[in-house]
Amino acid sequence: MKYIAKELRRHLYRTLGGISGYTLASFFVLIILSISGSNKSGSTGILQNTGTHLVVYIPTDKSSCKSDLVKGAVIAEGMNTLMLDIDLLYTIEKIAGVKDAAPYLRYEMYHDDYEKYISIGGIDTTSLATFTSVCAPSNIVDGRFLSRLDNEILAEEAFTKAHGLTVGDTLKIFNGRKVLTGIVNSGIKPAKADFYATIGNVRYLLQENLQCQAPGFDMNIVLVEVEDPRVQDHVIGEIRSLMHNFSVSTFMCYEPAYKVMNMINKTSSGLSLMIFIFLVLFSAKTQLTAIFERYREIGILKSLGWSDSRISMQIISISVIQATIGLVIGFILGVVVINLLNNQNLMLFDYIEFRFKYSFIPIVFLLSVTGALIASMFPIYRIFRTKAGDIFNRYM
Amino acid sequence: MAIEDLNRIVCESLTKEYASRRQTTKVLSGINLTIEGNEMVLIKGRSGSGKTTLLHLMGGLIRPTSGKVKIGRFTVSELPNHELCTLLSDNIGFIFQNFNLMPTYSIYENIEIALAPKGYDNRETKKIIEPLLEEFGLTEKSSTLPSELSIGQQQKVAVVRTIAKKPSVIFADEPTGSVDPETADEIIQYLKKLRKENRSTIVIATHGSFPEEQADRTILLENGSVRV
Repeated sequence: MKYIAKELRRHLYRTLGGISGYTLASFFVLIILSISGSNKSGSTGILQNTGTHLVVYIPTDKSSCKSDLVKGAVIAEGMNTLMLDIDLLYTIEKIAGVKDAAPYLRYEMYHDDYEKYISIGGIDTTSLATFTSVCAPSNIVDGRFLSRLDNEILAEEAFTKAHGLTVGDTLKIFNGRKVLTGIVNSGIKPAKADFYATIGNVRYLLQENLQCQAPGFDMNIVLVEVEDPRVQDHVIGEIRSLMHNFSVSTFMCYEPAYKVMNMINKTSSGLSLMIFIFLVLFSAKTQLTAIFERYREIGILKSLGWSDSRISMQIISISVIQATIGLVIGFILGVVVINLLNNQNLMLFDYIEFRFKYSFIPIVFLLSVTGALIASMFPIYRIFRTKAGDIFNRYM
Repeated sequence: MAIEDLNRIVCESLTKEYASRRQTTKVLSGINLTIEGNEMVLIKGRSGSGKTTLLHLMGGLIRPTSGKVKIGRFTVSELPNHELCTLLSDNIGFIFQNFNLMPTYSIYENIEIALAPKGYDNRETKKIIEPLLEEFGLTEKSSTLPSELSIGQQQKVAVVRTIAKKPSVIFADEPTGSVDPETADEIIQYLKKLRKENRSTIVIATHGSFPEEQADRTILLENGSVRV
């Protein structure tokens, strides 16, 4: 250690040169990581929820929820469906890759006043799967979302406009009276209906108001939210393996989404690899330059009986010390510059977000030190291979 | 084994060639010689006759193209690197023609690095170096850099660095070639003293600056061969 410190001190300009090289390298690595990290998380964050919704039901050719009072049935995507037991929901929730699953009871009946079939969806008002596949509190355009009161109902904006309905109206529908508490525009959703109520209310409505005959009133559709488009195929396969007659329907845009996510991941990995190679090459160049400058001295040390491993340890230690000091300075510089760029709203960078993460510290440290070690290998190999007298002949 | 046998140097059919892409240059050709332990031998020859190469081969600083070098029971030319390091740090000392001092190390540090492989602590190192610096009149220069010394003083530092570790075999390449007659005599006397006290074998390469009468015998080297 004594000679390492001496070496660093004696060749001060070379030491400072090495440190400044590592400073610049770690500074730029940090900046690139902060941009690519923010770009990656931004892009994948957007794509991560693209098309990750599924509706699961069992289609049938007969109505499974008949009523003597009205003409209606439980319907999904225009098809008659079977009623499903709540246990199926718990089974689906356990499939790896499923983020959330929710029960949904969707009923359609012919209404004389409206002279058409109208639909009502019974929803779990707290479930993410409901928000992404049916409607969410954020879809409210007037009034408010459903509470626990049993006479509340929501209506789709298009339906209210077509039939002149407003918030607060009392509607005589589904053989009962319901108050329109909110109007939603849920957009294009795979399981939307004309009206929505809590699933408990819709179960009660089917059983009591319409006196439907069904083996159970749990649900006819399971709404599923998948963690990531990349696992969607796996989840669909798992659900289909539960029962062969399941119909699983999804937006197909998850496929391009997961392809793009894979591309982003590969780009990010490629960029990281390039940074690493740059760091290794830079370190190797710094090390080699230092070794060539010191070759004569290494020859002297070898002639005095210094072992190859002792000289090599000195080279590695010097390299690692320079890398560490350079890394610390580069990091401080990087964090200051990142904060400046994010806070000062500079015109050139106002569309780029630099995101610093503490997890960068071990990554860049490991990259830097690994680079320094790899870079030391070639000079060390030469030291082991070359005799002191050959060094004197070539470099003196 | 007697100390004379331990320090005996034997060269058997020693040949050294340097090959480049264009040509192969034979520097030494079939050298056979024996230098007894505790002997002081001059290897004399003109510039380019191969004196330095022969010293480097005998001391294990380079490998021969063919042939063997033995010092005592060690076949130096075939020793693995780690054993050669031990031999160089404990038994062999080199005084180089161009001194080979570390330019950024002080005089004291230049001598200290020769003792570093032996694992002495600071106190022991100081105890060895300080009397030698005093003996050679270098005490006041101990913290200066080699470039601040005269050529003669640098030569003295090179000698002190070598003798500080009390090697049993010393290879000296023109040890008095760059110094005034008084300093040359000082170095010669010290080498003789070391030979007597430490029973060292001393091999000196010279083109003529070292007085022949101070050595036990002289070996003439001419065009890479020993002249009989």
